[in-house]
Amino acid sequence: MRSFLLLFFLLSSVFPIPVSADHALTFGVFAYRPDAVMEEEYKPMAEYLSREVGVPIELEILDQPDLNQALASNRLDFVLTNPSHFLVIRSERSLTGVLATLVRRWEQNQTASLGGVVVTLAEREDIATLEDLAGQTIASPGIFFLGGYQAQMLELREAGVRARDIRRVKQLSRHDRVIQAVLSGDVDAGFVRTGIIEQMALEDPDLPNRLKVIHPQNLSGFPFRVSTRLYPEWPLAALPHVDSAVVRKVASALFALERTDPAAVAAGIAGFAPPMDYQSVEDLARTLRIPPYDQVPMVTWVDVIHQYRLWVFTIVVLVILLIASSLWLGRRKRMIGVEQRRQRRMILGWPQPMLVIRDGVFVDSNRAAVDLLRYTSRNSLIGKDVSAFSPQVQPDGRISQQKLHTLIGRAVHGEVQACEWKLARSDGSEVWVDMTLAPIHEKGEPEPLILCSWYDITRRRNAEQRQRLAASVFDHAREAIFITDAHGTVIDVNDAYAGITGRSRESAIGSTPPLPMEEGSGVFQSARQDGFWSGEFEARRETGETIVLTLTISGVRDEHGDIGHFVGVFSDITKSKEQERKLRLMAHFDALTGLPNRVLFADRLQQSMSHARRQGFRLAVLYIDLDEFKPVNDAFGHEAGDRLLVEVAKRMRQALREEDTLARLGGDEFSAIVVNVGDEAALESLLSRLLEMVSAPVWVSNHSVEVSVSVGYTLYPQDGTDLDGDQLLRQADQAMYRAKHLGKNQSCRFSEGKV
Amino acid sequence: MHRRQFLGLSIAAGLSLGGLTGCQPGTPLRIGIHPWIGYEPLYLAEEFGWLADSVRLVKGQSSTDSLQGLMDGSLDGAALTLDETLRLHDHGVNVVVVGVADVSVGADVVMADPAIQTLRDIRGKRVAVELSGVSGVMLVELLQRAGLERNDIVEINLPVNEHPEAWRRGEVDVSICYEPTASALEGLGANRLFDSRQLPETIFDVLVVRQEKARSRKAAVKDLLQAHFAGLNHLVRNQHDAIYRVATRQNISVDAVRRALATVALPDLTANQRYLAPTGRLEAVVLKLAHIMSSEGLISEVPLNYRFCDASFLPRSVA
Repeated sequence: MRSFLLLFFLLSSVFPIPVSADHALTFGVFAYRPDAVMEEEYKPMAEYLSREVGVPIELEILDQPDLNQALASNRLDFVLTNPSHFLVIRSERSLTGVLATLVRRWEQNQTASLGGVVVTLAEREDIATLEDLAGQTIASPGIFFLGGYQAQMLELREAGVRARDIRRVKQLSRHDRVIQAVLSGDVDAGFVRTGIIEQMALEDPDLPNRLKVIHPQNLSGFPFRVSTRLYPEWPLAALPHVDSAVVRKVASALFALERTDPAAVAAGIAGFAPPMDYQSVEDLARTLRIPPYDQVPMVTWVDVIHQYRLWVFTIVVLVILLIASSLWLGRRKRMIGVEQRRQRRMILGWPQPMLVIRDGVFVDSNRAAVDLLRYTSRNSLIGKDVSAFSPQVQPDGRISQQKLHTLIGRAVHGEVQACEWKLARSDGSEVWVDMTLAPIHEKGEPEPLILCSWYDITRRRNAEQRQRLAASVFDHAREAIFITDAHGTVIDVNDAYAGITGRSRESAIGSTPPLPMEEGSGVFQSARQDGFWSGEFEARRETGETIVLTLTISGVRDEHGDIGHFVGVFSDITKSKEQERKLRLMAHFDALTGLPNRVLFADRLQQSMSHARRQGFRLAVLYIDLDEFKPVNDAFGHEAGDRLLVEVAKRMRQALREEDTLARLGGDEFSAIVVNVGDEAALESLLSRLLEMVSAPVWVSNHSVEVSVSVGYTLYPQDGTDLDGDQLLRQADQAMYRAKHLGKNQSCRFSEGKV
Repeated sequence: MHRRQFLGLSIAAGLSLGGLTGCQPGTPLRIGIHPWIGYEPLYLAEEFGWLADSVRLVKGQSSTDSLQGLMDGSLDGAALTLDETLRLHDHGVNVVVVGVADVSVGADVVMADPAIQTLRDIRGKRVAVELSGVSGVMLVELLQRAGLERNDIVEINLPVNEHPEAWRRGEVDVSICYEPTASALEGLGANRLFDSRQLPETIFDVLVVRQEKARSRKAAVKDLLQAHFAGLNHLVRNQHDAIYRVATRQNISVDAVRRALATVALPDLTANQRYLAPTGRLEAVVLKLAHIMSSEGLISEVPLNYRFCDASFLPRSVA
């Protein structure tokens, strides 16, 4: 940068002003074109001003950084620069307003407006509109150039191309360099101010043909090619420190400058006009957010509220709603948290086993569940499913895992499932539970939760089993069983009861059970006292036949120890009684004659002897043997012999009195006990009647047979001797033998010494 | 435009009204406009893309086109002078004034042969006037000031854009016209005898919309005014740019645009609110104008019970 000083002295002036070299005024002119050109243009202007103002004028052609520095060091008195740069300076230096606006001249036209030109090479067919500049490299003298950057950027912005869409902006400080860069192809397009092309064309007449103006504006009367809207031309401003008299003088000199003046001609201007409205330049800088309007102005709350009243109100309302809903949600969340904790405590503290299932496996369980399975820690359960604690197969025959899968599948769909389930404990034992699976998730919740509860029913199962067994025993016992109330009225009977008594169950219930005739309901009293009663008795079936029953009645005590019920068990012993009777008969009587045999005879003899001793009567023991029986037997056979024996026995029986006993001792030997023997004569007559009755002819096998008996007898008691039955019988036997010897068919009394 | 023509138009409009269909919400609001410095904001708005899609400018050559469009139903609104608005109302087209584009402060001019020095000198002269337009009102005002009757002069009813030609042919001595015709006549040697500066706040250029459209298309009408004020802002604050665009469109020099701008006052938003207020200036002017026009037979009766102004469409602020 070259600066130079020109000093001119006042030659003639109407208003002489005292001047000295110290008071030289410094004009800073922004160098938007090459220094040489600028110097040539503005030198006459400086001379003119020196002459008119009467003060030496120092002209400094400065580029933007130097101009700013010169201003910062307060070296300049007046500054002539482009409007955008002026705005920056004004904001930094608190300049007074614009003194004058430059009016440019071109050929016959003059204008106080300037604009921006977008140029590219004429052959660049790819760039025809502003939109085509997106993505291109652009040359510009600098961003503080109104016609060299800002004016174009506004048009680009309105065409939808933002600064960031441009690939690169090369800042070249001077308009001429921009044109050169475009011509050399270094850049795709260039931004210059109006008039540059026309001025450069003076030296290079072919230049306009090689360049193409993008987005050309048709503005009649405007002498230059232009791509943008127009803005006021350069302002000339005085720095605040300059004496107002000097400012006035300079202003009047500037306004007095005629377009024909050599100074104006050299500078290519038509003179200076009163300051124009630079508002549009400020608006432009504001829109593009470039200095001095790159900073967003401090906006106070009052401004915001004033401007966005409705928005502020809306946002405040929304924020209040948001806070209110957040508080409400927070409260709800806390309540839900409390609720959840309470629920968890409830589940964990519940005395029955409870577990929570998610995705088929336990995610939580309470202590009771852990204890039921006989584990020590909850962790043993978490993450496993129910089948892990179950036997392979459930009692109903289904595989635990499959059954569980079905149950959980239904529970997930909202059905409550309940069933009995067998669990296997950690120690291998099994436990029956009533398992309930209930969904506890909301519909549409992503993870279905199922509450699983177990109720230990092992004891109940066992009791049921016992009960079933008891019922089965009751039903299938061969003994008749009945249950009565405390008064002996039947309330239940089994099948055997009906079988034995012949009464249907229906008619049996509500009536009395079969009881012994003589005691009747008294047996219940006995059972109440002794705890039981048993006995045998005869009863009648429904059909009327007599049966013998053996019955045991037991009192059933309730929880208070009182007898509330009786249980009776009886069986039909009719047949065994009959059998017993027959057996007894066989042991004491002779099968052929029906007379008591030797055993019974001995027994009766014993009885009769004791009777006789006690009551002081005498008895006689007879020993009777059939005479000539063997020949009959041999002649007519055993059958005839038996019949003979039966006939003889019958006759002898008839001969004896009722109270006397006749017995067959075996073969053809009989014996008899005659009680209440009064005197010998009565006995003698009885014996003779017996002999007589026996000796009557007997028809045996169509033959009349005559038999007789020999009878020996002895009496009891006998003086001086204590005899037993055997001795008595032996005495009678001896007497019988004597009767045989004496010629048979006679009776003979035992006497000592006689054989 | 001839008054007879105007009546003919109105009959045609009446006939075509039957076939008129209401504008669908989707179709843009059609606004008739013609070159006039006061209407330039709308042109600028359209050029810079500030005109919403809900509004479409239908460009005519003169106000006649706009009047015709409003009467035959092809337009929903237009930029017109206040007297044209009264005439429309007189012919049964009810429109409301939704905005004031400009107030003439010298734009409407009486150009006269240099020999005519005072207003009274026009007695017996041939006066070119467009009775159906704003110059009709100017004539009434002019005669009042001059203390003359209408039959004291020779009325030549001629559209304003044809005045220079008639002048050139020597057929008229006085022309009641407006820019840029006035400048053209000046170039032909005419003198400014009288202009609207002497009639402060009398000649208004306004934006009107059919009453039923104002009701049914509120948003579109607001868009129209928003665009107008955006354009106005550019015209006033970016004059260094706008004048070139106006010059290009009207095909006149930049200096002529500057001169034209000097002859109109362009009321901004707050001024508009003031004018259009129920007790504002405009209602009073309408009534006064109606009395004058009625007395001169330009309209059949004074619309006493009709409210012309509606400030409710004005934007709250200019974007």
